[in-house]
Amino acid sequence: MRPQLNRLDKDQAGSFSGSFIDRSRPLRFRLDGRLVSGFAGDSVLSAVMASGIDTLGTYRDVPIALGPSANPAIRLAGRADEPQHALPMARTPAIEGAEFVTCGIRRSNPLARLFLPGRTLGLELDEPHALDRPWRRLAGAPSASSDLVVIGGGVAGMEAALTAARAGLSVTLVEASAQLGGHSGLFGTQEGEDNPETDMARRRDAIAASDAITVLTHSHAYAIRTGLVRVHRVEVKEGKPQGSVLDLPARHIVLATGALERLPIFAGNRLPGVIGTSDAHALASRYGIWPGEAAILATGSNVAYRLAILASDAGIAIGRILDSRPNPSSRFIAFSRAYGMVQTPGAAPRSAGLIKAGGTLSVHTDQAGTEPMLTGRLLVCGGWQPDLTLWHLAGGRSRWHGRHHRIEAEGGLDGIALAGSAAGYFTRRGCIESGQDAVNALLGRPRAPVHDPVIDPIHESPDAPATITEPPEDAAPAFLDSGREFLQRPAPPPRSWTSIFRRHPPRSGLVALSEAPQPLAIGDVAAGVDLGLIPPDAAGIVAQERVALVPLLPPTATIPPPEDEAVAEPVPSYLEGRFGGDAVLVRVVPAEPRRLETGALIYRNSDAANPLQAVGVVLRPDGDAALALMHRHISRAGLPVSVRDQGRAIAARIESPEN
Amino acid sequence: MSEPIADFAVIGSTPLARLLAGRLAGSHGRSVLYMGESQSSYRLPRGLDLSVAPITRPESWAMLRQGIGETVKLIGRIAGRGAWSHVDPLFFAGDPAAAEALGHMRHMALGFGIAAEPAAPTMPVAHRSGIVLRDALRLNRPIIEPALDQWLEREGVRRLASEGVTIAEDGSAVLQAGGARFEARQAILADHDAILAHLPPAQWPALLRRHPASCILTTPARPLPTPVMLEIQSGITLLQQNEGGIAAIGLQDMASFSGRIQLLLGRDRQVEQAGQTSFSALATSDGAPALGRVGTVGADVVAGMGMAGAFLAPALARWLCGEASPFEADWFGARLVSRAPHGPSVAEYAPHISGTAP
Repeated sequence: MRPQLNRLDKDQAGSFSGSFIDRSRPLRFRLDGRLVSGFAGDSVLSAVMASGIDTLGTYRDVPIALGPSANPAIRLAGRADEPQHALPMARTPAIEGAEFVTCGIRRSNPLARLFLPGRTLGLELDEPHALDRPWRRLAGAPSASSDLVVIGGGVAGMEAALTAARAGLSVTLVEASAQLGGHSGLFGTQEGEDNPETDMARRRDAIAASDAITVLTHSHAYAIRTGLVRVHRVEVKEGKPQGSVLDLPARHIVLATGALERLPIFAGNRLPGVIGTSDAHALASRYGIWPGEAAILATGSNVAYRLAILASDAGIAIGRILDSRPNPSSRFIAFSRAYGMVQTPGAAPRSAGLIKAGGTLSVHTDQAGTEPMLTGRLLVCGGWQPDLTLWHLAGGRSRWHGRHHRIEAEGGLDGIALAGSAAGYFTRRGCIESGQDAVNALLGRPRAPVHDPVIDPIHESPDAPATITEPPEDAAPAFLDSGREFLQRPAPPPRSWTSIFRRHPPRSGLVALSEAPQPLAIGDVAAGVDLGLIPPDAAGIVAQERVALVPLLPPTATIPPPEDEAVAEPVPSYLEGRFGGDAVLVRVVPAEPRRLETGALIYRNSDAANPLQAVGVVLRPDGDAALALMHRHISRAGLPVSVRDQGRAIAARIESPEN
Repeated sequence: MSEPIADFAVIGSTPLARLLAGRLAGSHGRSVLYMGESQSSYRLPRGLDLSVAPITRPESWAMLRQGIGETVKLIGRIAGRGAWSHVDPLFFAGDPAAAEALGHMRHMALGFGIAAEPAAPTMPVAHRSGIVLRDALRLNRPIIEPALDQWLEREGVRRLASEGVTIAEDGSAVLQAGGARFEARQAILADHDAILAHLPPAQWPALLRRHPASCILTTPARPLPTPVMLEIQSGITLLQQNEGGIAAIGLQDMASFSGRIQLLLGRDRQVEQAGQTSFSALATSDGAPALGRVGTVGADVVAGMGMAGAFLAPALARWLCGEASPFEADWFGARLVSRAPHGPSVAEYAPHISGTAP
C-alpha cells in the first residue's frame, strides 16, 4: 500500500490540516491495481496525490505534472469503457474498497500498468484524447426548473444564491468541489473584513438553512445557453460513485466561476513539482497535501506571498521568492520578510528541469550569473484571469484589458449575469456586492454601485503580466496554460541536425494558433496575447471562437434531416448558354455498345479535345444512347460526332434532334 | 502636408486581395493603398485557396489553368515552397442533380488535363458519388500571409490600419489612418468581408446575397479520406488540419451546421468542437463570380470567386488596369456585377445559395 507521503502532519499543519478530510476515518482503494490510502472526504485525485503520485504521464517523453487542473477520467473496474461510466478524478470521492481504472490510456503493452514507476499514472499524453471527458458526449437528463441557477460556490456565488433566496426565488447552486467556499482563503483579508474561513462558514450555514437553495456539489457546468445549464454531477449511490448529466432549466443564471491562475511561460513549466499557487493552496487547505518540506516561489502577484506565509506556518521552508516586479510592495511581502524569507525582485524562472534521481527540480532564473536552485517544489503564479469560459459558451463578448493584462467581459446576455472574480472584481467585498448586484440586475431591481476597494498601488503593487522567458536549447517544453489542453509555446524550427535522430525531435511547435486542434482555454488566449501571437484587439473574439462548445439545441430546434433529393433538371442552369442560346437536346448513339457518362464532351471529330471547342455535352444515359445538349447548327440527324469519354474518343452519331 | 491621391485602395484580407494589391503596384505601376488584417494565424478559417474548384464552364477552367502557373510562380517567389501543399480534393454529391453536376465537373477537369477519378469507396455515408481531383495545390494561409505582407511593402503598397473608410458613389475612397486622411481614386472591395463592411447600402447590387455562414473546428478525429472534401450540393467544405483537427466551413447558420457536420463526419468519429464561429458571407444568385464596378460607376467588388479566386488575381489586376488579354477581358466582362439577369448565362452549379432572400 502506498503511504501518504505528501500528507502534512495534522498537529503542525495549521490552516493546511485539510478541511475536507476526516483523518479519523482512513480508507483504501485501488487505482489501476495500485493500493492507495486516504481519508473520508478525499477525492480520488487528492488521495492519489497524497500517496506521492505527482505525474500524469509523458508528453513527447517529458513528464507532466498531475494536479487539480489536469487529471484523467476514471471508471470503476469492471464497468465498460463507455461515456456514462466515466468519472472525473478530481470530483469523485475516494471510496473504501473501490477499484478504479483510468480511462482511455493508450499503452503499447497492457502489462505496462503493472510496472509503472511509483510517481506516475503512465498516460501517454501525445494521444490527443488522453484527458477526454467522455460524459460531454451524453445527452442531459431534464431536471426540475428553478428560478435561478448559480454556477460557482465561492463567495460571490454564495452571496448571489442567498440574495435570490431572500427575494423569494428558488435557487440551484452548482459547485465543482465537495464543499462551498471557493478560493477566498488564499487571498486573505483587507481592513474591516472577517477572516475568509469565518466568512465562508457563515454563508455555508445560511445556505444550509435555506429551503430555497438546492446545492449540487461535485458538479461541473460545461454547456450553457439562455435558460439552460448542463452539468455533470458525481454522487455516491449505494456506496458507489456514479456520474450523471443534468440539464438544469432556469429563468436566470449567475456565472460566479471565479478566476483562473495564469501559468508563467518558461521551459519545464508543467514538470512534476511545478504547481500554481491556487492549486497548491487548494490541495493543502482542503486535503492537507504538500509534497516535500521546502519550496521556491516564482510570482508576479502578491497573493503568492500569502501562500508562502501559510506554508511557513505549516512548517514548510520557503527557500526563495522570485518576483518578476522590480520593486514590489505588499503587506504580505512585509510579513514574508518578517518570516525571514529571501526575495529576489525582478527575477523569473527561465527553465526548470528534473534531476533524475528523486524528482528534485533544478530551477534556472533569467538573471545572468546565478547558480541553478534545487528544490522539491516550485510554486508559480502568473496572475489571474477571470474564468469567462461559460460566458463565452453562452455567446458573451469580451476584450483584452491592457492595464489589467487580462481578458474581461463586456456587454450583456439575456438572462445571464456575471459575478465576483469572473466579472472582474478584485476584492472580497467587490465579489460579495457583485453577487448581490448580479441578482438585482437579472430581476430588474434597483442596483447599487459595487465597491471594490483595491488598495493603493503605492502600498500593494498590482500584479505583473505572466512572465515569459526564452527557453534554453533542448529544454523541456513550455506550455501556455496548466489545463488539460497541452498547447505548447510555438517556437522556431530546431537548427541542430542531430535532432533528426531523436525519437521525438524537438518540435517547432505550432506554426499558428489557428492550427491548434484543441480548444483554447482562456489562459491559452491570454498567453497568446502576451506572446504576440494574438493581437490584443482580437483576444475576445478568439477566446469566444475557440471555447469548447457543446451545442445545446433550443427546445424548438432539431437537427435538420438531410435535404430532400433534388431531381435533375432537363437542362441545368449551369449549362445554359454553353452551346449557344438556341442549343437543342439530341439523342447520341455510340458506335460501340457502351454507356456514355454524364458530362462527357462531344466534338466534331476525334482529334479535338479542348473543352472550349466542344459542340455538346452528354446530359444523362437514355437507353442504349444518351441525351445530349448540342449546338443547334450541328444537330442534324445522322451526323457523326466524337464523344470524349474515359480518356478516349468514342465514335457516335446524332440520332434525332428533340425539341 | 496632404497625402497624394492613390490610384487604388484595395480592401480585403484574403490572399486574393493581397496578391491583387501587390500586382497592381508591382506589375502595373499603380499607387495602391491596402487595408486588410492578417488573421489566419489565430482565427478559424473561413475559406480556402485551392487550384481546382467545382466549376462547370470551360472558359472558367481555361482561365484557372492559365492563372495557376503564373500565380504559383509568384507565390513561390514570395513565400517559398512551404506556401502550398499538394492535395487530392474529393468532391462528393448526395442527390441525382448534384451527381450529374459532378459528372460535368469531372469531364471538364479531364478536358483540362487534371486527373479526375471516381471515388465511391471513400464516400461519406448516404452519398452516391464523388470524384477525386489529383495533385491540386492548397495555399497555406498562415505561411503566406506574413510573406505577402512583406512583399506588399517591397512592391510599394502602402498598408494602412484604417480607422474609417468612406466610399463615394463614383467609387473613390477616403481612408482615415493614424490621424491622417488618405484618398484613392478607386476602391476595390476585394473579399466578402470588405464588401459587407464597406459597400454603401444604396449601391448594393441585386446579384449579391448575404448568407449566414459557419465554421467548426473539431478536436483530432479519424483522418478524412482526403485533406479537402467538398459536398457540392451544400457547399460544405471539410478540411483536414495539419495537427489532426477537422475544419468545416459552410453557408448555414450554426445550429443547422453543427448537426449537419455530425452527420457528415459519421458516428464512428469521436468529434468534439474545438472552435466555432458564425459570420456573414456573400453569394451571387447564379453561383458565378461578380466583378467590376457596382452600378457601373461605383467601387469595384470581387465576389463569388470561390476557392480558386487567388489563382485569378494576376489576371484580375491586368483587367482592372485595362491590360487584359482578349480572352481574359471576355471572361471578366461576362461576369460583371452589373450584369443583366436575363443576359448570357454564366451560371455555375450552386444549389446551396439559391432560394435565399438577399
